[in-house]
Amino acid sequence: MFGLSTFEYDDDGFRTCGVTGLDVHESAEDMVKLYGLTAIVALLIGGIFAFFVAMTRWELIGLLNPSDFYRYLSVHAWYLLIFWMVFMEIAILYVGGPFVLGRRLSLPWLAKAAYGLMVVGAVVITYGIWTQSVPDQAPLLTSYAPLPSPASFYLGVDVFLIGALVAALPFLATVWREQREHPSKTLPLITFGAFITSIVAAEAIIGGLVTFVPALLWRVGWIPHIDAAWYREMYWIVGHGTQQINLLAMITIWYFMTHVVGGAEVASEKVSRFAFVLYLFFINMGAAHHLLSDPAVGTVWRMWNTSYAAYGAVLASMIHAFAIPAGLEAGRRRKGKGGGLFGWLWSAPWKDPGFSATILSIILFGFLGGITGVMMGQMQLNMTWHNTLAVPGHFHATVATGTTLAFMGLGYYVVRLVFGREWVGGILASIQPYLYGGAMGVTVLMMMYLGVLFGVPRRHPSVMDIPGTEFSFAVARPFFAIFGITATLAILGGALFVLIAVASLLAGTAFTGDPRIEALRAAADGGDRADAPHHQSMRGTFIFTLLFLGTFVVLWALNWLLLSQVWKVGP
Amino acid sequence: MDENSPLDPPEGDWWNRTVNRRETIWLGLSGAWALSLFGWMLGWTRAGEQNQIGPTYRVSPDAFQAKVAEYKNAAGALDVDGESLLVPQGKDVYLGALQWAWDGLPAILQPGETYRFHLGSYDVQHGLSIRRATNLSQQISLQVLPGYEWVVEMSFDDPGTYHVICNEFCGTGHRSMHGRFVVREHDPGEARRPDGDSAGNAAYGGWFTGDAKGGATENYGGSTADETGSDEVTVTVGAEGNGGTFAFDPPAVAVSPGTTITFEWVSDNHNVLVESRPDGAGWEGHDGLEGEGFSVDHTFETEGVYTYYCQPHLSMGMKGAVEVK
Repeated sequence: MFGLSTFEYDDDGFRTCGVTGLDVHESAEDMVKLYGLTAIVALLIGGIFAFFVAMTRWELIGLLNPSDFYRYLSVHAWYLLIFWMVFMEIAILYVGGPFVLGRRLSLPWLAKAAYGLMVVGAVVITYGIWTQSVPDQAPLLTSYAPLPSPASFYLGVDVFLIGALVAALPFLATVWREQREHPSKTLPLITFGAFITSIVAAEAIIGGLVTFVPALLWRVGWIPHIDAAWYREMYWIVGHGTQQINLLAMITIWYFMTHVVGGAEVASEKVSRFAFVLYLFFINMGAAHHLLSDPAVGTVWRMWNTSYAAYGAVLASMIHAFAIPAGLEAGRRRKGKGGGLFGWLWSAPWKDPGFSATILSIILFGFLGGITGVMMGQMQLNMTWHNTLAVPGHFHATVATGTTLAFMGLGYYVVRLVFGREWVGGILASIQPYLYGGAMGVTVLMMMYLGVLFGVPRRHPSVMDIPGTEFSFAVARPFFAIFGITATLAILGGALFVLIAVASLLAGTAFTGDPRIEALRAAADGGDRADAPHHQSMRGTFIFTLLFLGTFVVLWALNWLLLSQVWKVGP
Repeated sequence: MDENSPLDPPEGDWWNRTVNRRETIWLGLSGAWALSLFGWMLGWTRAGEQNQIGPTYRVSPDAFQAKVAEYKNAAGALDVDGESLLVPQGKDVYLGALQWAWDGLPAILQPGETYRFHLGSYDVQHGLSIRRATNLSQQISLQVLPGYEWVVEMSFDDPGTYHVICNEFCGTGHRSMHGRFVVREHDPGEARRPDGDSAGNAAYGGWFTGDAKGGATENYGGSTADETGSDEVTVTVGAEGNGGTFAFDPPAVAVSPGTTITFEWVSDNHNVLVESRPDGAGWEGHDGLEGEGFSVDHTFETEGVYTYYCQPHLSMGMKGAVEVK
């Protein structure tokens, strides 16, 4: 598809990947290209809108007027939080299923039909946002009823969600057929992770239809009333659920990329799979943390959903936080790539953007996104986070640094391994993940400071000038200046990725293999069988995770200290 | 083939394979940490002073609006620094959120007193976000939903001004939604009856006072703009006044029969509903919510008094009158 690939298929439509050793079928590869490239187009559009949003919130520039700001913010949110992510995730399902299992994609016509639905849905959503006028308001991501959004917007969301649900079916059918043929065989870890991702995704999407179909009927007048509390509870099944698809897809990518590029092995199949199962049962309930400062849900409900339920998922994330670097450490030690405490890291391919993007994704997601998610997920702390700029700070840490970096890392290898093109840009490709990740990391830190330390609200075009009052957030101005500069750098870093990816597809030379990766594979083949990964020392990883836990505890204590300074609230 | 690859099915009895000792320790640490987080959160509900816990009641937006109006009528008023602040009579404080203002503010509260804040909305979802003026880090946010009244106790030891903004997107005027209250020692006995009993306000059957439907109309000073003899008159809808952009300007106008009045919207989310009109008059107002730039006109033929209001902002006193004579 697209005629951009340098690979040839055999008579059955298969080819063997020279790097991963996977047998890849044309039917699956075509769809990975289609969904993957569409995702990159969404990243490009969302990134352009990110510039307008950031330059409005940096009020020194103050680019947009209020009504334009909400419109642009809505486009930015839908293109990056939904379209960029979901199109990429479908591609990841088709990699995790057919690619890894060495099968053709089952029901390929359904994958095409789903793609059509998703694109139509995305276009209708965009139309709805762009043509919105009073009494309708810009939907942003949440379109909280009873504030009306355009009917076309709700319709577009319904079509898009149905498309995404259908797109998971070819993946599930492929796994089904594999299991029918080999009932006693265990799925590879990557496929298992992708499978759990698809289940969590289906739950999220069904929640979305439960929300947005009645919302559409309400907007066109067939249902007279929609309850705000009911809407919120249903909405967050999909609102946060979609971001949990990102999380699971990202973790699956972490296992995949650290293995392919870094030589990681599975430290413990049991522990890693157990963590995925924890997600399956608990992570959707974690979405309740959006309702911790809500009037219509009881205290016990809030406590249960954000403690037992959420900590089931938090525990899972902490397991992966150990298992993935440990797999890298063990795998590299086993291949003779690391002595001492951190030798396995010093010797790693840091100039390879696929590797560095993955590692930066792991670090930034954990330290910035994961910890802050647990903070605001504590019922009382939530009062100091709720609806402040710290909330977008948190989810930019998870999605814009964590997931986006992981997908960029994967994107570099889609260019190489799916399209068979070497990257253009040389040193620029090597620095891109550092530029993007570093700048975005500082940006999200500023958003969190602004939100928690100054109470700066989210979704506001101007906090330095609030009409009708002398009051303003002017003391926060220096933080906004740093925010504005680093956000611009991050957007440039993102643009650089799109540029390198597109230029490589059009003008890259044929990818003929990477000597560092070949050396890893040679070492793996010659490795000592008895010398299993779990016998390797994981002391480097242990130190990193202890550092992580220490940071976690300190930030947690600081947040509670800040809360204790607030006046008395509640009984 | 690498048997420890995540791309290949694990071979043999992988479930019973040993787990690295450090990984096991980490599992234990993680589990203990999750339990500690939970325990702390539970403990804080007992020992901590900040818990967003309180009863919630289902109440229609109209009924809640009526409760706030009743509360405001019963409350006193105190002038501080040239501004009239509401003085709650008792320990209940009502805050009504609407597009785009906080009904019930500005107010003055006693330091150290425990107040029951009744939070609700008249229209869409809002975000109650309170901070102390001199220390912005002292801040909290609570969601406010139409159809629900949440009663949350709060007490303020530190005197000073507390600013209230809305931090849930509630439409294009969202950013202008600001209110404040002052925490300061005061003698409730000093409080007077709130505005609305000056002589001029008895006009139009007391339509512009808080005794009639909705709040008192502050931008009505007791006089009627005399436009008798003009062919065309303009009334702006959503002009500055009544604590936001919640005024008809002029609020009361006198015209001759046959005059065309053009209602021009200068801010968003307003309508014009007719409360009363002379027998035989056909004016229906305009019940759709419109935004800046919209206009509608009507030629008034029948003599008599017409009263009208903006439905979303009735509680703020957004009322008007036309006198045809």
